[in-house]
Amino acid sequence: MAENIKWGTDMDAALALARAENKPVLLDFFNPG
Amino acid sequence: MDAVTYPDAKVIRFITENMIPLRIAFDAQPLSTDFNIKWTPALVTLDPDGKEHHRTVGFLAPEELIPSLLLGMGKSYFETDRFDEALGSLEKLLGEYPESDSAPEAIYLRGVCQYKSTHDPKPLKEAYDQLKAAHPSSEWTKRAYPYRLL
Repeated sequence: MAENIKWGTDMDAALALARAENKPVLLDFFNPG
Repeated sequence: MDAVTYPDAKVIRFITENMIPLRIAFDAQPLSTDFNIKWTPALVTLDPDGKEHHRTVGFLAPEELIPSLLLGMGKSYFETDRFDEALGSLEKLLGEYPESDSAPEAIYLRGVCQYKSTHDPKPLKEAYDQLKAAHPSSEWTKRAYPYRLL
């Protein structure tokens, strides 16, 4: 199991992966500080 | 979220197994404007076509984040007419996190999914009865109020 969450940073790549794996996307808008 | 919730082992496992995680700075354009982001953290559940189905704003502890994400998955499946998958997410939420803040909406949506699948109104009345018993002050109990007559 992963030791942390492997966040993507590219919307188009995330949607392509979501289609390929048939999963929803969790989009986190965050404040990098 | 970075200090408490995202390092949690159950949260890591859940997100890794069930979702495609994507992180964007709150002021990154054009997405910040496209999604009308005004405060963080803002967590949005999207279907694979990029359509929004669920959103929360503000901190969520691990025991609230996972059921919130399950609710988001359930809504995403429901709103794309994937009722069996929606029911799977909602049953998991209600089975593992029955006391969570997401539970009342999940009970409501489960009843609607069952009705949409079968065209039998009985699950709608059952949803109201369950909400009235377990969550009498919830807004979802009020929204289900008409179903008591079915």
